[in-house]
Amino acid sequence: MLKFVAGRFLVSLAVAFTISFVTFFFLNIFTDPAQAVAGEEALFEEIEQIRTQYGFDRPILTRYFEWLGGIFTGDFGVSYYWNKPVGTLLLERAPQTIKLALMSVSVTIMVAIPLGIFAALNPNSIIDRFALSVAVSAQAIPNFWLGLILIIIFSVTFQIFPVSGDKTYYHFILPSIVLGTSSVPPVMRLMRTGLLDVINSDYIRTARSIGFSGWRLVTKHALRNAVLPVISVVAVQLGHKFGGSLITESVFAINGLGRLALLSILGADIPTVQILIFVFAITFIVFNLLSDILNAYLDPRLRL
Amino acid sequence: METTLLEIKNLNISFNVSKNIVNTVDNFSLTLKEKETIGIVGESGSGKTISMLGLTRLLPKQAFVDKGSILFKGRDISNISNKEFYQKISGKKISMIFQEPMTALNPVYTIGRQLISTYLFHNDVSRNSAYNRAIEFLDKVQLTNVKERMAQYPHQLSGGQRQRVMIAMALINSPELLIADEPTTALDVTVQKEIVGLIQKLIENLGMAMIFISHDLGLVSKTCEDIIVMEKGLILESGKAKDVLTRPKENYTKNLLKCLWSLDVDHKKINEYRTLLLDVKDISKSYQLPGSILKPKKVINAVRNVSFEIFKGETLAIVGESGSGKSTVAKIINGLTKMDSGDVLLEGKKIDSYSPLERALRIQPVFQDPYSTLNPNHTIGFIVRRPLLLNTSLSYDEIETKVAKTLDLVGLSKNFINRFPSQLSGGQRQRVAIARAIILEPKILICDEPTSSLDVTIQSQILDLLNELKARLKITIVLISHNISVVKFLSDRVLVMNNGEILESGNTLNIINKPKNNYTKKLMSAIFTVKKKV
Repeated sequence: MLKFVAGRFLVSLAVAFTISFVTFFFLNIFTDPAQAVAGEEALFEEIEQIRTQYGFDRPILTRYFEWLGGIFTGDFGVSYYWNKPVGTLLLERAPQTIKLALMSVSVTIMVAIPLGIFAALNPNSIIDRFALSVAVSAQAIPNFWLGLILIIIFSVTFQIFPVSGDKTYYHFILPSIVLGTSSVPPVMRLMRTGLLDVINSDYIRTARSIGFSGWRLVTKHALRNAVLPVISVVAVQLGHKFGGSLITESVFAINGLGRLALLSILGADIPTVQILIFVFAITFIVFNLLSDILNAYLDPRLRL
Repeated sequence: METTLLEIKNLNISFNVSKNIVNTVDNFSLTLKEKETIGIVGESGSGKTISMLGLTRLLPKQAFVDKGSILFKGRDISNISNKEFYQKISGKKISMIFQEPMTALNPVYTIGRQLISTYLFHNDVSRNSAYNRAIEFLDKVQLTNVKERMAQYPHQLSGGQRQRVMIAMALINSPELLIADEPTTALDVTVQKEIVGLIQKLIENLGMAMIFISHDLGLVSKTCEDIIVMEKGLILESGKAKDVLTRPKENYTKNLLKCLWSLDVDHKKINEYRTLLLDVKDISKSYQLPGSILKPKKVINAVRNVSFEIFKGETLAIVGESGSGKSTVAKIINGLTKMDSGDVLLEGKKIDSYSPLERALRIQPVFQDPYSTLNPNHTIGFIVRRPLLLNTSLSYDEIETKVAKTLDLVGLSKNFINRFPSQLSGGQRQRVAIARAIILEPKILICDEPTSSLDVTIQSQILDLLNELKARLKITIVLISHNISVVKFLSDRVLVMNNGEILESGNTLNIINKPKNNYTKKLMSAIFTVKKKV
């Protein structure tokens, strides 16, 4: 197991380096960082002056290693657009996104997993049909629409939840429902098909021949096998959410990473954008690594 | 005095197929005394397994028990609630062993945990004593290093070892009745014999009754006192094993027996073949399992320095268990795999110097599973015609005549030309596969387990067909098989392989009757035959 974790960790590290390299190169080759700092209407001389002043005229590899070294020492560079160190920006914005991500994934899990289990235990029943229609609708409804509808019902008409903002946990309930709903379909479907497969397997027949039945059969013999693919999908969803949701954060006026990314891209703020891309990639890698480790812990056949 | 343990009366089981009720088991009755063993024999679809799943309430969802009574120790258990049945009967009084040890154990839990939870389910004892009980039963099924085994997962064990664990699991609650559903069919021949012996010994020691389900009449007659013969959901006949074998009443049973006998007839005079057709010289092949960053690659030597010759017109059998390298040898001859070293000379020329088309004209394969080797989207005519289209420049009429002639040769009428594989039975499909292989009139036919996935009666028809083709077309056959009876019936010479090496080779009868190598002896003693009574 330790060997497995070490191996996966090394692979993840390699992926992270590749991503940092690719992002840095693309952003610095296809855009002109000096032009971005100087602004659109700057004169040629001004741009050239900035180029030497900021050191953009040095070889790209030198700048890359300088940037990478900065990340390791906690120096993420300075944002020209926000006039702040990028590290400070991240620390300001990340808590909102993390709260939203964790809460919305909890919503997904609380809805999708029980629904998937019940649907699998009663295939083609009313519950199953209901679960399927929930999945289809959740997939079809756009986030901004659901967000606005929830605001109209729960904030305007009944005034239970605040309309927007990110001051208290209370502010995060509606956006979490919106964001969590969009991940319900894949998780629920995987839970359903996974459990259905397991329930029709030979080893469940063996367990039934011993006398296991009903709920005990599911929890003691089937769930661990069925939940394996679900873990990977939840990890991917969690990765998505940590990248911040542009639309949901905008609708509910939450100052998270999603909005930061949007505004930084519009402002051609290369230092912020490249750190954000790198951070999003790293969270994806970390969640995938965690889900691989959890999967291997649950399924001995994966510990190769 | 022996008391009756189980009495099934007029059990009917039906399937609900898209709102049509289809009766699958019709009036199944059985009486079993304590400590008695009874065998249920039949081919696939005969209802032998379904009737027992009806007894243990493990039927698939669409199936249900229509009517009938099941008396277990004098009490009717067909009407008791599911809850009571699961708590008091299944796993406790009646246990089952299934066919597939590879999938019958839960892959994510250790052997120990599965055994312990099985025991704790029916017994209110401490975890510690359940652990000791599990150890005791792993000992009983003759596994080694039982303490380490407890912490192992199913995928770390071999098929035979898993089946032993399965047996331990079925017996750990000391049931009074054991139902064994083809417990050895998925195992290698030599392992089969050990497992059957183990089951027999254990039920005798523990004083249990057993119902043994199998398609193998020879095996059942050796294991059970009584036999029930089933076909298409009906019991055809039942009685003492020796009576059924010596004085079969029903034609179907006679047929089953004939299949066993026909494979047992005295071998015809061995012909001497002189012209060298294929010369295999010192070939080796190894596979590499992919490693990872921290793990070196693992090398498996599938074939190690194997040499043999094949003469024109003879049938050579390559015998061995799974993993012996016999199929790899076949693949190399067939050009489906490249060898690492050595040479294969076909008519004096290196086999790699032939183009794929040239090779296909000379060597053709017939594979094991006719259900997956025929493309379901093509008609039989297309499948059989295609080799001609690819390899020859015959006219349309010539091709059609040849297709019809070849189909006739394998015993299929012209009507099959427009049918699809899914409309054919397993035996018919295998005939199509043979027709496809012989239409180019190849010099060598490589048959890789040509009958293993077919029912017994169909098996003997296909073997007869191959024998006939051999005589009529003077074709050379390389037969790959683990089934000694098939080998005995068809082949002139035998090569015995194990771990990628040839252990022994020679005349079929000599090898079967006077094996020299210890492994060959083990292999030969593992077959259950029924001697024809004079």
